[in-house]
Amino acid sequence: MTMTPVNLSSTVADDEPPVSLWRDAWHRLLRNKLAVAGLAVVILLAFVAVFGPWLTPYDFLTQDLAARNQAPSLAHLFGTDDLGRDVFSRVVYGTRTAFVVAIVVTTIAVVIGVTLGAMAGYFGGLFDRIVMWFTDMTMSVPNLLLVVVINASLKTPLTAWMEARYQATLNPFYRETIWVDFLLVFGSMALISWPPYARLVRAQVLSIRGRPYVTAARALGLTNRLILIRYIVPNAIGPLIVSVSAGLGTAMVLESAFSFLGVGVNPPTPSWGNMISDGLRVWQHYPHLLAAPAAVLGLATVAFSFLGDGLNDALNPRGSK
Amino acid sequence: MTAPADNKPLLDVRGLTIEIETRRGPAIIVDGINLTVGKGETVGVVGESGCGKSLTMLSLVRLLPNKIKVKGGTAEFAGRDLLKMSKSELRQVRGGKIGFVFQDPMTSLNPVMRIGDQLCEPLIYHRNMSKADARKRAIELLRLVGIPGPEQRITAYPHELSGGMRQRVMIAMGLACDPELLIADEPTTALDVTIQAQIVDLVKDLRKKLNMSVVWITHDLALIAGLVDRVAVLYAGTVVEDAPVGELFARPTHPYTRGLLASIPKLSDEQASRLSSIGGTPPEPGRRPKGCPFAPRCALAESVCHESVPVLESVAGTSGHRVACFVAQRQMKEAA
Ligand SMILES: Nc1ncnc2c1ncn2[C@@H]1O[C@H](COP(=O)(O)OP(=O)(O)OP(=O)(O)O)[C@@H](O)[C@H]1O
Ligand code: SF4
Ligand SMILES: [Mg+2]
Repeated sequence: MTMTPVNLSSTVADDEPPVSLWRDAWHRLLRNKLAVAGLAVVILLAFVAVFGPWLTPYDFLTQDLAARNQAPSLAHLFGTDDLGRDVFSRVVYGTRTAFVVAIVVTTIAVVIGVTLGAMAGYFGGLFDRIVMWFTDMTMSVPNLLLVVVINASLKTPLTAWMEARYQATLNPFYRETIWVDFLLVFGSMALISWPPYARLVRAQVLSIRGRPYVTAARALGLTNRLILIRYIVPNAIGPLIVSVSAGLGTAMVLESAFSFLGVGVNPPTPSWGNMISDGLRVWQHYPHLLAAPAAVLGLATVAFSFLGDGLNDALNPRGSK
Repeated sequence: MTAPADNKPLLDVRGLTIEIETRRGPAIIVDGINLTVGKGETVGVVGESGCGKSLTMLSLVRLLPNKIKVKGGTAEFAGRDLLKMSKSELRQVRGGKIGFVFQDPMTSLNPVMRIGDQLCEPLIYHRNMSKADARKRAIELLRLVGIPGPEQRITAYPHELSGGMRQRVMIAMGLACDPELLIADEPTTALDVTIQAQIVDLVKDLRKKLNMSVVWITHDLALIAGLVDRVAVLYAGTVVEDAPVGELFARPTHPYTRGLLASIPKLSDEQASRLSSIGGTPPEPGRRPKGCPFAPRCALAESVCHESVPVLESVAGTSGHRVACFVAQRQMKEAA
């Protein structure tokens, strides 16, 4: 039973230089063709959302009654609508609306969902039961019904209040009823969007909470807060990124559904949703009015979902092939 | 080699009982374990898979999984009962006074954190070190556990290190705050045989350097024979034999211990050094026999063994050798 002498400087196997997790992840992402395609589309759309208004050949409001309902041509790439407005310019403006809605809504939903889900999963007990009760409640009410009710009950009083403020202050800010629109659309969309994030994060935390490295961290005497922030949430983030990325696309679809029901962003601000809902009424005669915004919306949704999947694979350092 | 009798042990576990909630009601997993570890002493805890080794150690710092609870007993550490401490006191003990090294180095490190950051965390938390000081100390610790190029390795992620290297990092984490007691839970099970010996030697060396007590949990008696001062043999959640290591190898008294030793004929024969050569399997929690827990597998079992539970008694003519077996105890009395 002799032991080999202590050799404290012995080297074992691997000598590859340390690589950063993020650089590693980036390389893995670039190797995934679908993810790269998704990323390219997302970047293009984001660019359009930011700089679009300077790129469009026409203003989104300019009506040209002499050129109504034109089919796509070189002058009007996506044709014109029933008021003679350039559809391409409107789609470009709609991109900005779509991104603003998607980013704001998803951010609010993720912040609420991650906080509640992580705490519910980690602490369990009564807090967990209350949070889960709220998510179940929210998820069991049909989404669109909830939104219609919120809108119907809040829109009129809010608009009236804004008008009263304008009369009192003459501040032009209160003239913009678009803020009421945004508040209601964002608020109600966030309200129905957070529960899936909370559930996902809770499930992740429940499985991660029992992992050996969490027990090891607790055995080091670290506080719950530190363990949640540094050990649990970062490890739960992979699936969350997938779901956030897909969620951005979903939020864009949701905004369209709202517009279709007349509770979305109001005209004249162009949104893909209200363009689609307008297009749906006349698609037999002018299919381009439906096809253009619908195709862009579809493209955006698919791009976000591919990107999300790619990010998930890339961010998992052990899953690399 | 055991701690002098007049000296209070560093860790004194008495009658520790652990239960698990099952669908069929509570079931005992650990049944009245007694275990002492003296200052500077190294104790091996040996027993087959599922006999409650890990849960016993986790219960000391109150890290049992959800449905598993301590039902009785005390665990005094430096004179204070760990099982009754306040949460904040306990957090000072965890990592600060009792360090842990876990079984599986592949899963016991946070995969998304650089090992340097994982090492610094307890230093910043327990020792109020600045980030720069913690980093220096982390490099020192990595060097101490024999990791080459610690200045570079500190920025590595766990998946960039081999299993043996990761286990060294785990040991460094366990040692970060100079604990008085290091609990190593099968730290070599997941490693190659040659690396196993390196890790054993490392702990042997560090124990002397740092003057700490060690509890080393293992399946493998042969591996730790040269490391530990004393061995406690666990079976189905009870200590069935407890003796200085030389004494245990020279005079194994419990039928289970004899089975364990008989199953390591040659060190080279790796398969045989596993405990599987004793026929049958240990009782599942909730299906413990009424009498001696080993009775269903014991070649020497008599009717009394199925009726009542033997308790640890000193083996005549020895110091610190105790065994819980009716037949062995009777044979000693007859011989006396
Ligand atoms: N989280 C858990 N949930 C349910 N049962 C558990 C859990 N952890 C352990 N057990 C049960 O408790 C008993 C003792 O487990 P423990 O992990 O202490 O054994 P061990 O001696 O460390 O075994 P090993 O050598 O395999 O690590 C086992 O029968 C096991 O099935
Ligand atoms: S008490 Fe009986 S059954 Fe138990 S180990 Fe001794 S002889 Fe075997
Ligand atoms: Mg174990």
